[in-house]
Amino acid sequence: MDRASLKSTMSPRNVTRRDVVTGIGAAGVGAAGAATLGRRASAQARGPLTVTIWTNDDPAQTAWYQKRAQLFNAANPNIKVDPQRFPAGELGKKVSVGFATGTAPEGFLTFDFLMPVWLDKNLVAPLDVQRLGYASIDSFTGDHPPAALSNLVKDGKAYGLPTWFHAFSNWINLKHFKEAGLDPDKDAPQTWEQFGQVAKRLTIKDRDKFIRQGGKFAMHSPVWTMIQFNPILLQCGGAWFDASGKCTVNNAAGVRAMTIRASLVREYGAEDPADSVATNPLPMMDWLRERTSMFLVHPVHPNAIKSQNPRMFADGDYRAIRYPGLEPGKGYATTYGFVLTVNAQAPKEKQDVLHDFYKFFMAEPLEVWKETAPFAHVRRAGGWQQDPVVTGFPNAKWLLQSREEGVALPRTLVFNELGDAMHRAVQKIVLNNADIQASLNEAAAEVDRATAAYRRA
Amino acid sequence: MPSSSCTTDPEANGVPAQTPPATRRFWHIGFRRRIQLWGVAFVLPALLFFAVFKYGPMLWAIGLSLTSYDMVSQPSFVGLENYQSLASDPIFQVTLLNTLVYIGVSTVLITLIGLALALAINTGVPYARHCMTAMFLTNLMPVIAVCLVWKFLLHPFGPITQLLAPFGAARIDWVTNSATAMPSIIAVTVWRFAPYFMVVFLAGLLAIPDDYYEAAQLDGANAVRRFWHVTLPLLTPVIFFVVVVSALLCARIFLLPYFITGGGPGSATRVLSMLIYDTGFSYLKMGRAAAISVVLFAIMMVFTVLQMRLFMRNERMLA
Repeated sequence: MDRASLKSTMSPRNVTRRDVVTGIGAAGVGAAGAATLGRRASAQARGPLTVTIWTNDDPAQTAWYQKRAQLFNAANPNIKVDPQRFPAGELGKKVSVGFATGTAPEGFLTFDFLMPVWLDKNLVAPLDVQRLGYASIDSFTGDHPPAALSNLVKDGKAYGLPTWFHAFSNWINLKHFKEAGLDPDKDAPQTWEQFGQVAKRLTIKDRDKFIRQGGKFAMHSPVWTMIQFNPILLQCGGAWFDASGKCTVNNAAGVRAMTIRASLVREYGAEDPADSVATNPLPMMDWLRERTSMFLVHPVHPNAIKSQNPRMFADGDYRAIRYPGLEPGKGYATTYGFVLTVNAQAPKEKQDVLHDFYKFFMAEPLEVWKETAPFAHVRRAGGWQQDPVVTGFPNAKWLLQSREEGVALPRTLVFNELGDAMHRAVQKIVLNNADIQASLNEAAAEVDRATAAYRRA
Repeated sequence: MPSSSCTTDPEANGVPAQTPPATRRFWHIGFRRRIQLWGVAFVLPALLFFAVFKYGPMLWAIGLSLTSYDMVSQPSFVGLENYQSLASDPIFQVTLLNTLVYIGVSTVLITLIGLALALAINTGVPYARHCMTAMFLTNLMPVIAVCLVWKFLLHPFGPITQLLAPFGAARIDWVTNSATAMPSIIAVTVWRFAPYFMVVFLAGLLAIPDDYYEAAQLDGANAVRRFWHVTLPLLTPVIFFVVVVSALLCARIFLLPYFITGGGPGSATRVLSMLIYDTGFSYLKMGRAAAISVVLFAIMMVFTVLQMRLFMRNERMLA
């Protein structure tokens, strides 16, 4: 090419704006394509296989996830397990949005009472229990308290691996008992009637104002309402649903259970339900600060007591005792726990990695106890519960035993609707003195509508 | 040279007319047309933004309201079933009534109190500007902080009850009694929004020429008549703006009732935005949630159109 023709080819007058725009666009598309191809090529060059797990944000549990992931990753250089944490209350919604947008992780933690929904929508894969270290599903079942598996086994297959698992207990303030002339060993309430009577004796009032509430139910959240009411309903011979799926919380047993639930306010005047609604973001704060003498709650970490009430911690003025029942010594509480699952849409190789990590994660319950006590892994095996480190921990014996005796929350596809309906009913009954039967009728009708809508969908 | 004898008309030279290249065609169009096209080009990003992030989702929500969608399965078309089920749902009916009461009472109070505050400040009382600044600060506080502070203030034995103690109030369940919970939420809403609209009213008042007041005063009109016959008519467009905007703000309220009462006790303070949130993200019924939001949208649309017609008729009458 001669110089003149070269010049004419390069002349700006031959380049239109369209050419420039087209050129930039083509360059952009090319660059984007090259980047994508580059990433793909680099992925194909055997980078570490990344497996993401969404977990809750409990500090102790988070630390354990990070610790185990680091050890696992170090032992498997081609694998990167990445636990990411989110607020426990929002995790279910986060996972739903993840599935809706195609960004759900390969594994996720969930409350056991939400498992029926994930199962019904085929979002979680059945676990290979042998890969988890169990000889069979029976040995897997035998390693867990019954309530821990009631929401996650279907057609003889386990769809989730329970991790931390708790039962509620009645936490009592020993100093208050002594001040009221009560012996914590003899007078600790075993029945609901005793619970009300003891609470009444523990209560201190200045006209309408409670200086100290004798006992307390949480009023801040539908899940807590469900957890605290569930055993009362079952103890009264009630059930949440009948065989056809109709909500039966408004039958005679349900009314009796709700009458017991409301008696602390209505009959014994030992609780101010408005107080906790209006003030405390942390439901057990009233108990920690000694504004209530008894509170039905999950295991309380000694550090929580120490930080909020150093005197109570130093004097050891607290004890976890059996949840009240209809008969002495027969009370039991709701259990709940966190369950690890495998996304059914995850590739097989990532599902395998998750199995291996979950097995590793659950392998040392004693070490878990040392780091997160009194919150403990669910497993029975290994004799860790008899270790002096465990048995020497305050209240450990009862806290572990209560898990074996506890009952799970109802297995239902409309758990959130049920919880909201019951929460509203309890609010109306104890805050506004509404009729128990009418309030439960409304709640049952609401749940039945939700069930019908779910079935239609 | 042959080229020098060519005319500008190609056909005159026996050469067939050729269509100019597209790029040249753009530069050869008229100046006015080019300016218009440039205008469109400048507006286009904003239009695209609204189309993608505002009108697109709105249309998507309307479409979604005709489906059953649980966020994890594919949406399935169900026609008007979501709307039909809403019509017979007592929870929706109670929530709708709550929302209408909340919007109606809050809007009236915000407008009246906002206007009253603006009039008070416009009279030139001492420290009026300081008062205005202090009151406007309520708008600058984060909503969460507002909720926490009011939760404390509205405790049964909290500071507000203490203030009322000389009048015999020992305990008032502000947010835990069905009778007082909604008024409490409305009071917090008015506290938060009235000062903002006070500033809007103040701007409207300052825009009214003093001549009108002087003329009215010369004619012997007292303060009430001046307000009724001068201020109010000239403030009509501002009042319309305040009523419509405050109603729209109230229709979208979520955080105040969500954090202060959680919608309770029972369903006493549950508003539609909370029901939409629960239905969509807690019960995983996105189609139904979309149907509720379409109903809310329709209510606000009807309200706004009615307001517009009412105020336009008033303006015509005044003119």
